[in-house]
Order: sequence, then C-alpha cells, then structure tokens
Amino acid sequence: MSDEAALTPVARSAASPERTVARAVSDPSDFKNLFVLRGRPSRQAEALVALLACILVIALWEAAARLKLTNPIFLPAPSTVAATFWQMATAGDLLYHSGVSTLRVWVAFLLSAVLAIPIGILMSSYRIVGAALEPIVDFIRYLPVPALVPLSIIWFGVGEETKIFLLWLGTFFQLVLLVADDMRRVPHEYVESALTLGARPRQVLSDVAFRAMLPNLVDSLRITLGWCWTYLIIAEIVAAQSGIGFVIWTARRYMKTPEVMAGVIAIGIIGLVTDQIIRAIHRRAFRYL
Amino acid sequence: MSAPYLAFDRVTKTFGDLAVVSPPFDLTIARHEFVVFLGPSGCGKSTLLRMIGGLETPSSGEIRLAGAPVGPPDRRRGMVFQSYSSFPWLTVGGNVLFGMRYRDDLSSGEKRERADRYLKLVGLADFASAYPNRVSGGMRQRIAIARTLAAGSDVLLMDEPFGALDAQRRESLQVELRLIQKTDAKTVVFVTHDVEEAVFLADRIIVFSQRPARIVSEIDVSAIFGMERPLALRDEERFFHARTELLRMVRHTAGVDP
Repeated sequence: MSDEAALTPVARSAASPERTVARAVSDPSDFKNLFVLRGRPSRQAEALVALLACILVIALWEAAARLKLTNPIFLPAPSTVAATFWQMATAGDLLYHSGVSTLRVWVAFLLSAVLAIPIGILMSSYRIVGAALEPIVDFIRYLPVPALVPLSIIWFGVGEETKIFLLWLGTFFQLVLLVADDMRRVPHEYVESALTLGARPRQVLSDVAFRAMLPNLVDSLRITLGWCWTYLIIAEIVAAQSGIGFVIWTARRYMKTPEVMAGVIAIGIIGLVTDQIIRAIHRRAFRYL
Repeated sequence: MSAPYLAFDRVTKTFGDLAVVSPPFDLTIARHEFVVFLGPSGCGKSTLLRMIGGLETPSSGEIRLAGAPVGPPDRRRGMVFQSYSSFPWLTVGGNVLFGMRYRDDLSSGEKRERADRYLKLVGLADFASAYPNRVSGGMRQRIAIARTLAAGSDVLLMDEPFGALDAQRRESLQVELRLIQKTDAKTVVFVTHDVEEAVFLADRIIVFSQRPARIVSEIDVSAIFGMERPLALRDEERFFHARTELLRMVRHTAGVDP
C-alpha cells in the first residue's frame, strides 16, 4: 500500500507470436503419445492399435494351424471355428440353446438383483441390518459354487431350479456387498442436506441416496450379469439337455473342438453385446456425470 | 441484545474419550443476528453448529430454538456444507426446487416462483437448466445456498461454505450472503477459521480456543461497522485495524505468537 511502484504492471510487448493453426485429425503426431508414459493418444489411434492387435493374434493362430504347427484336434484354425459357428447358428440349433441360456441367466440375475438391491441398501443404511447379515453373506460368498453342485441337486433335482439356484448363489451374495458398498459411498453431505431440507429418513433413502447411488448400482449390476455367464457353464454341464453349456459339453464328448470353441464364442458375443448395451444406457441415463 | 432466540444451555459433547465441547457451553443468539464462530480447525465449532442442526446430539445440556429444545434435523434449520452438496443428477433449477420438495403448503406454481426468485438472488437464473458439473465451484456453492434459502429455513447454519473457493468469488459471495441475510431476515450461524471473513460478515464474532471448544472472547462487530457491509469496507483503515487486532488474538489463542 505504501510502495505504489511495486504493483505497477510490467509492460508487455504488443506483438505476440502467431498461434499455430489447429492440426488436422490425420496428423501422424496423433500416434506420438502412444509410447509416452501415461500419454494420451487420440481415440482413433488407440482403436486402430486395438484392432491391429486382434488381427495379428488371429493371423498368427491361422498361420500356425495352416502350417500344421498345431494339431487341429486341439487347436483348429480360426477360419474353421468361424465356419463351424456359422453352420451351427444357421443350420444347427445354436440360437435355440443361446436363447435358453440367456433366459436362465436373466431369470437368475433378476432374482439376485431384486433381492440384493433392497438388502444391500438396508445393510448400509441401518447398522443393525449390516451387523446381522454381513458375517453370513461374507461366509457364503467365499463358498465355491462348483462345490455346491451336489447339494443343489439333492435339494432341487436336475431341473431348471438347480441351474437357476447355482447362478443365483454365485451372484446374489457378491451383489449384496457391491450394493452395500455403492450405498456406503453416497456422500454424507447429500443425506444431511436432505434431512435439513425436511426429508424423513425413508424419503432420504428413496429421493436422494438411491438416486445418488444409481450410476454405480447400474455398473455393479452389469458386472454381476457377467459373472452369471461364468457360472452358467458350471450349471449347464450338470445334467442339462439344453443351453450353450450343454452344447459345449456334448461337443467335447466327441472331441469336436471347433464346436466347443464356437460355443465359447457364442457366450463371448452375447456377453460383449449385453455389456455394451448396458454401457450405452448408462451413458445416456447419466449424462450429468 | 434482544430476547434469546437460539440458546446453548450448559452443552457438552464427547465422542468416546474425546471431549469436543467442555466445560459446559453457554451462548445465546438473537433473532436475525449474524454470528460467526471463529477458531482453529478441529476446535469443535463445527460440532456446535451440527448440534444446532440436529445432526449431532449434545452429551449433556440443551439447545433451544425459540424456547423449545431442538430435535432431529428439520426444515427450520437449513445447513450449507463446506463441500459442494448440490445433487449432480438435478439441474441447477431442479436443485433449488428440491429445497421445497417437502413443503406441502406451497403449490407447484408457488414453488417455481420461489425457485426463480432465489436463483436470481444468487445470480444463477441463466444457469437454471444446466447440470452442476457444468458450472464452477462457486456456482455450485450458490446452488446449495439457494436451495437452503428456498426451503424457507429460519436459521441458516453454514460450515465454512466458502472454504474451497478462490479469493474473488469468496468476496463476492460474502457480500451477497450479507445482503440476503438482511433482506430475507435470517438468523445465521457461520463457522470459519478465516479472520477476514469473520470480520466482514459478522454482527458478532465468537472466538474459540483449541479443542475442547471454549469461548475465548466475543466481539461486537456491528458496533464498529454497523449493519451495512459493502465490498468497499474491505479497503477501509478501520477494517484492516479490526482484522489485525483479531488476528493477533487468534494467534495468541492458537499459541503461535510468542
């Protein structure tokens, strides 16, 4: 305040160097960050690299099979697998079996979700519920599903119930804890703000906490749906007459390796497509993120 | 001082073995008064504020609002937090409307009118349809303030609401807050550790010791500056003087000054 000169702005030269023109999208420098630690290459460059890597792996595999470097009974060429897949999908009943499997997965998944969402929310919202359920859930969660197959057959026989039960068992207890975690991560300020705006505890849960956890909840559900497909094979190789697991297991019995692989690919495709659909819904529904 | 509107009556608070407010704390706050709790971080001033809001309960003693002991949180005691508590899934306007969600006495038309009024008051009318992640930190804090004001609380409890903002935005929000408080006739309890902010905003400053919270002194700022707090006040000699004086006192209680 005393020394006026100290705050006098430094004179700047009027002529500033001309800014460089924005570079074109196809600039090769889009790729230059690929090898920089934590660099950010352009999206196109990244997608291109990913595509090239896939093509390279398949090409190597094809070459190995064509040059008879591998025994076709163990590792048939990808072109053979693709042809088998196409034949099974068009002439065979792969689509029917995929439909059966998808139905089982969704029934078990919805059963898990319908139970796990309210229970998980209550576990994080009321200590007493958490204290009562967490040890049980934590214990069952670590039981290996395959080891429970015999028990499941004793309880439910070999029908649909066993398959649904095994899928449910593999996902419900995991999902409960994921939901509880999603609820726990809702900022305390949101809850307290709602309370001081006059919301009753139940309204805080439905109007604020649930809404706040929703994006994470959808992610948790998406991950759980993926697990369902993992357990599906275990459920379907046990005395099943239908489903992709049944297809794979039957093909294995006759050493039809291309058909085994085609079955695996069918699961991969269904999983990938479902996952991408849920991701797209997530992006549209939660634009505010 | 007029009749006590908000009163702490021999209040203590302990968390387990940790005494946060002790010995028993007594304080009365008049209606429409702007009181600032000033003290070092972690001294227990926020706990006192949260106890007014009903977000914590006293271990002993009682807090009374307009004669009646305060209970669980409700709409009469609005709270604004340090971190941005605007709801990300609602637009700026939606957030302000949410402040009136649990008011059955207002029609939806009245709610919209009120929301518009408070959006204008905090300077967010042009951003009503934007989502909070698209606006600056200062604007997000103004959303929370407008939301609390729209709810129609009598007492505004503010816990370092401007702590995370840059200096210019802080100053302009302080001026706005002071105007809102006078025009809307609110009782404000404002927690901060910023001496300058305390001097600029307060009718009365309560200076706290280190934890456990105890009143070191009370300063009647309105007696020095009056009720009007224009931005230009910051450049006046008497403002510097008061600030320096208070800063010395705070340093002394914090044990920094030899």
